[in-house]
Amino acid sequence: MPRYVARRLGQAFLVVAGVVVLTFVVTRLLPGDPAVAFAGPKATPQQLAEARARFGLDDPLPVQLWNYVRDLLTGDWGTSLRTRRPVLSDLYLAFPASLELVGSALLLAVLAGIPAGVLAARHRTRLPDFGVRVGGMLAVSVPVFWLALALQTVFAGNLDWFPVAGEYDTALDTTSPLTLWTNITLVDALITGNWPILTSTLRHLVLPAIVVAAYPTGVIAQMTRAALIEEAGQDHIRLERALGFGETSILVRFALRPALNPLLSLIALVFAYAIVNGFLVEAVFNWPGLGRYAVDAISYSDVPAIAGVALLVALVYVLANLVVDLLQGVVDPRARQR
Amino acid sequence: MRWHKRLLVAGVAGVVAMTASACAGGQVRGAGRTPQPSTDTSTGTSTGAAEAPAAKANDATFVYAPNLDVVTDWDPASSYSNEIIAMSNIYEGLTRYDAGARKPMPRLATEWSSAAGGKEWTFKLRQGVKFHTGAPLDAEAAKKAIERTMKLNAGAAYIWGAVKTIEAVDASTLKFTLKYAAPLDLVASSGYAAYIYDTAAADKLKDGESDAGTGPYTIDTWQKGKETELTLKAFDGYWGGWKPEQYRKVAFRVTPEITTAWQLLQKGEVNFVPRLNPQLFAQAGTTEGVQTSQKPSFQNLLVLFNTATGPTKDVKVRQALQLAIDYDGLVAALKGAGTKASGLVPEGLLGHVQGMEPKQDLARAAELLNAAGYGQDLEELKLTMTYAQGDEDQKLLVTLLSSTLKKLNVTLQAKPMAWNAQWDLGKKKGQDIFVMYWYPDYPDAYSWFLNVFKSADKPQFNLSYLKNAEIDKAIDALPQLSATDALAADQAYADLQKKIIQEQAAVAAPYVQTYQRALSATVQGYTDNPAYPNVVFFYDLKPAG
Repeated sequence: MPRYVARRLGQAFLVVAGVVVLTFVVTRLLPGDPAVAFAGPKATPQQLAEARARFGLDDPLPVQLWNYVRDLLTGDWGTSLRTRRPVLSDLYLAFPASLELVGSALLLAVLAGIPAGVLAARHRTRLPDFGVRVGGMLAVSVPVFWLALALQTVFAGNLDWFPVAGEYDTALDTTSPLTLWTNITLVDALITGNWPILTSTLRHLVLPAIVVAAYPTGVIAQMTRAALIEEAGQDHIRLERALGFGETSILVRFALRPALNPLLSLIALVFAYAIVNGFLVEAVFNWPGLGRYAVDAISYSDVPAIAGVALLVALVYVLANLVVDLLQGVVDPRARQR
Repeated sequence: MRWHKRLLVAGVAGVVAMTASACAGGQVRGAGRTPQPSTDTSTGTSTGAAEAPAAKANDATFVYAPNLDVVTDWDPASSYSNEIIAMSNIYEGLTRYDAGARKPMPRLATEWSSAAGGKEWTFKLRQGVKFHTGAPLDAEAAKKAIERTMKLNAGAAYIWGAVKTIEAVDASTLKFTLKYAAPLDLVASSGYAAYIYDTAAADKLKDGESDAGTGPYTIDTWQKGKETELTLKAFDGYWGGWKPEQYRKVAFRVTPEITTAWQLLQKGEVNFVPRLNPQLFAQAGTTEGVQTSQKPSFQNLLVLFNTATGPTKDVKVRQALQLAIDYDGLVAALKGAGTKASGLVPEGLLGHVQGMEPKQDLARAAELLNAAGYGQDLEELKLTMTYAQGDEDQKLLVTLLSSTLKKLNVTLQAKPMAWNAQWDLGKKKGQDIFVMYWYPDYPDAYSWFLNVFKSADKPQFNLSYLKNAEIDKAIDALPQLSATDALAADQAYADLQKKIIQEQAAVAAPYVQTYQRALSATVQGYTDNPAYPNVVFFYDLKPAG
């Protein structure tokens, strides 16, 4: 097991190192001078020169890369050209809200996707199976931006069932100020027993979480269905059937367990995907997460911020995969040999 | 332990670890002093209103829905971005421009005069003004503020470039001696870099916890990255005093999506949306509970032709291109987002001329192209054009112009680019046609002529690369004329525009952007001042009823 962990950690380190170098190269290849973004559209030549000197943009590229890696290792992810604050501080403000949204969406996706997959496998080639397959296909293929606008217009605008936008009713900052421990509003409200903010956040979370959950739900449902159908052909399932277990019981008690391993890998993959996919959803629902920060950074050519977001997403991706790899190593000893 | 239980334990441990690593240490969000950024008392109920107590009649909050971050720089010396909206309500300058009267009006200065041909300016300061720090405003404090801004030389500090010395003659008299004549009363009305602030507190401003202005509002809370990023509250010691019906609280609720902002406005959760697309703006005009405002800005579109190199070096080609633009079609397609321009200087500024509206004339354009050796049955003319990526209005121009030029055997290779990349290419004379917006940092038409059309060996914004000694001389004479003789300045501006547009054909100015605002019908007193883009002067507003 220690050798397995070391191997996986080494691989993760290599991926992160690759991402750092790639991010640096790509951001340096972007057209235009980052100093213009910092100094403003009407900057004088003197102001541009000062900005270039401040960010070391006149240094040779290898020196810039070395400085970039050195700064990253010391916790300095650069200064945003737009907000003029440390990128890491900006990410710390924005990322928890994204984590809250994507975490809730994934929970929703697992809670809806796995039972839907079981239902489809249980009633294979019949109406429920058809419904789950069509629903899954729709959930995967519908553009999130469109879905976000449609749900917002119908359920918030017309029916008034949910709030139009925001993370929680900010009037509560006066009546029920929230003490921050993790910067994740739901968690902080739960820890501190701030029920007004907790309930308000849950109400605000429903629509964006459903939109972000659509794609993972579709994928998980289809994957669960396929894995269960494959598992249903195994010898041990025939034995359990011969022993008189019911079909639902066989699927849930005996077929689902081995099918969960590939599902874990899938969830890790869709987690990182959902963070990026959620950017547009955050914009529509005014969710104060990484999406708004990333979109603003891109439209402003804010190179350090773009690099920071790219690196963070890559780290999340690598970390999620690492956690799943390690868990699979614990769960299934055969994984350690692969 | 069974494997799924191990998974559960690992999951819980992960959440705990994440929680611990992200631990912020018990700060209080909003710190319990945030005013309610909900509806004013007379508008519709907000979705979350059930969770908050109703506000009193004189306790209404005005909620502004910007589409971008509210504040990036809290220093009044270097601030040069979206924060103009908030800063203009926290800080004040010596004067404030009135676009209707086309001149600056008193603000912290009550009167002013110029001497020595516009090279000496004396401002009398308003009495009884206090900074939000509690310190009194006097000439020495104003002198220090402007000198600090000049010394930092960031953002738009260049506007004070003419100033040689500043002298506090007495407690209420401020005297400027200039290196060259300049309309300092206009400079002092700028929305950027002209704020008067308490320099003693200037180094403590960057966290947005306090400010050092004299304006009617002061910072209440600033939560970077949050939806309600900034809230302002009334400054009780404001020199203008307070009436019960005025908005004493303001909140900025960042709403990047136009459709979301529109939904929030309809529900009464925000009071002001600074921009809508033409479709939603038309809908807003007929929606109950919503009022609209439409006003030409000081920002116009410039189509700059390369006068230095390539086929557009020939003035006949440039004139043909001017005549090929379908100005009326473009303005119609903009559906109210633009107004046909007349000359280079937008209405509301000294130097604006009537009767210079451009017209499309394809027959004349074809004649000019033929005379230059291009056109039908002659050599095909290929032109490169750069414009702003993501700007739908500029894209409309490109689409219309491309199809028109095709009929004249001219192929337009238009390339959308991010500003810094487009500008980089422009500085290298890398295109035949450069499309950009221009706006003045202070309400003076001089900005167009000095920056965009004065000769420059290394072009910065002179992206038509025009080099003309006669035009340069006329541009250099403008500041003194503006400072001493407004009528003569008006005529000089008119003459220059004819030279640059008609004789040199260095530019086409198709339209002036129009501000299209939507606001709650219950808000009274709103007028758009194009000298301060997107700024709402909240002090001038009051809720109906």
